[in-house]
Amino acid sequence: MAVAATISQRKRIKRKAPRGFLKRVFKRQKPHLRLEASCDLLVHLNCLLFIRRLAEEARTDACKNKCGVIKDQHVLAAAKVMLKKSRG
Amino acid sequence: MADSDISDNEPTTRTLLRRVLDTEAPRTPRRRQSTRAGVQRTPLGTPFSMRLRSQTKTTAGRQPHRARSIGRLAHTQTRGQLKEQTPRTLLENILLTAPESSMVMPESVVKPVPAPQGVQFSRRESSPGSLELQLPELNAPATLAPGRLTSGRRKKRLRLSEFQQGMDQGLPLSQGPVTEPPGNTGASSLSSSLNLTFATPLLPQSVQRPGLARRPLTRRAVDVGIFLQDLQDTSVATALPGDRTPVATLPTDTVLEDTQPFSQPLIGCSPSVHHSIPSPSLSAERTVSRRTWSSGPGLQNNSPRKPAQLLAGKAEEVDALAMGFPNTSSSTSGEDGLEPLLGGVGEEVEERMEESMSLSEVKEAAGAQASARAEEPEAHTEVAEAEGSWGATEEKEPEGSSGDKDTEARPELASSTPEFPQARQLEFLEPAPPTSTAVGLFRQQIIPAPSLSSEPLEPLSARLPTRVQTAGPRLRQDPYKMGLSHYAKLFSFYAKMPMEKKALEMVEKCLDKYFQRLCDDLDVFAAHAGRKTVRLEDLELLMRRQGLVTDRVSLHVLVEQHLPLEYRQLLIPCAFSGNTVFPAQ
Repeated sequence: MAVAATISQRKRIKRKAPRGFLKRVFKRQKPHLRLEASCDLLVHLNCLLFIRRLAEEARTDACKNKCGVIKDQHVLAAAKVMLKKSRG
Repeated sequence: MADSDISDNEPTTRTLLRRVLDTEAPRTPRRRQSTRAGVQRTPLGTPFSMRLRSQTKTTAGRQPHRARSIGRLAHTQTRGQLKEQTPRTLLENILLTAPESSMVMPESVVKPVPAPQGVQFSRRESSPGSLELQLPELNAPATLAPGRLTSGRRKKRLRLSEFQQGMDQGLPLSQGPVTEPPGNTGASSLSSSLNLTFATPLLPQSVQRPGLARRPLTRRAVDVGIFLQDLQDTSVATALPGDRTPVATLPTDTVLEDTQPFSQPLIGCSPSVHHSIPSPSLSAERTVSRRTWSSGPGLQNNSPRKPAQLLAGKAEEVDALAMGFPNTSSSTSGEDGLEPLLGGVGEEVEERMEESMSLSEVKEAAGAQASARAEEPEAHTEVAEAEGSWGATEEKEPEGSSGDKDTEARPELASSTPEFPQARQLEFLEPAPPTSTAVGLFRQQIIPAPSLSSEPLEPLSARLPTRVQTAGPRLRQDPYKMGLSHYAKLFSFYAKMPMEKKALEMVEKCLDKYFQRLCDDLDVFAAHAGRKTVRLEDLELLMRRQGLVTDRVSLHVLVEQHLPLEYRQLLIPCAFSGNTVFPAQ
């Protein structure tokens, strides 16, 4: 197919998704469940967006405290907010 | 004219050939005039003509021909038009014009091309000359036409030769007095002269290959010598390791042979090494030790210790693998790496060792030991020895005390750690000091009392309780940590601000919690839909609830923004040719 053809040309993907890692994590957590084919990619996307938002939050926290470096308390505070937001 | 002709005729092969003939003329070097003359024809440009044009462009040194051929082109063109009597004539015309473009057109070829008259002839001559240049072999008799290698070309050549005969008579081309069989005169002279020039270029290409093939031979020669010398040494060494469980490391055997480890110093250490072997928990040590020797700690005096250390490490790795400890550090972070390492590291090490090894003594010693080990059924010992010898050989020059070795080992370990993933580094650093201490012990007492061996083992096991005890948690932790650190790096990238290490660890903890939450949510969603498989719809629902996907921003938009092309193609259905959609909806 066209898809296969294009993929074969470029084998090196930047920012690869750790598909095996994600699958393993899911299996560990929920062994009775199964993940569909490309679901782990969406999980990866979800993680990316989560981390992005978390980083933004941590950055604003650090800037609020007029810190040039992100410290773990900033991260902690940001995580609290984010985990609340991403409750789903 | 050509257009009218063509329009009149049906699109038969004849017309096509005619077109080619017409268009070919312009493509010959006399392009300029031909283009003028063949402007009408150019639009006809069949693929042949196009190719020919391109080919002619590549040809060089056609100038003298061009001058002459220009006039001929017109002739040919007209001739072509007039000749539409038989396909044969058309073909002949094509043949006449086609061969011009030769892959290799040395300027020397130009010389023989003279006569302004027979443009075709001149072309043929040049082409045969060029063709022959390319194929000096074909030079011989029949093939006048230079150029293509196809047999069809040979036929052309024959025909050309006929023409050439006429040409030669009229043209000074037939350089030289060499007037061989008709048709070959010019070509033969050209080819003969040209062949010489072309002969050389072929050689370098062929010579290149042998160079690569020669490489393995050099290695083999050393092994034999080492083998003979090591026979005696190995017998002593083999006795002690006999009690140890032999680990099958066949690939390492071959590797050992090639290497040139120390023979004598290692013998004494071999027993000690064996004792240290039976600690599967020392897998990390092994990998570390392996690295250490590769980095080059060896000293002749200290070589026994190092090799012992290395041997122990290697043996451990081998043991671990043999015993099927996937959980060992070696397997975890570098399972893929370790296994091929054992099999192929030896080879790699050999290469490295060979390169680095300069002193013959070391080589002999190493080789003796290596060969001796190879003979023994215990591959692990051999491997260890080989490793040790390699390390020794590498470090031959910087001889130092045992202390130096230890110090070297540590920095080496430290240096080697960066090679491994971060998670492993910590673990490796831990065994590093113990290994050095163990090496010290070995040093002092070559006789490997079991107590001695147990001593280094105990501290090691104490430090790495996880490894020794259970493989499960180890596996869980390492790759899990690796995956989390992968995302933590992305965090630091997105933050665009310097971060503390503690902050990164905090990020990893948050990610852990996040993953748990994610799995729970997906479980709930799938159960709600009465499914046991998590599907894309569940994921989309999750993202919608998280506020990432809204009415304004759809999932596909997010996919396109944040995922690379390959993943996008897998996720977003796209229509392809043949009325297919991938991925299937």
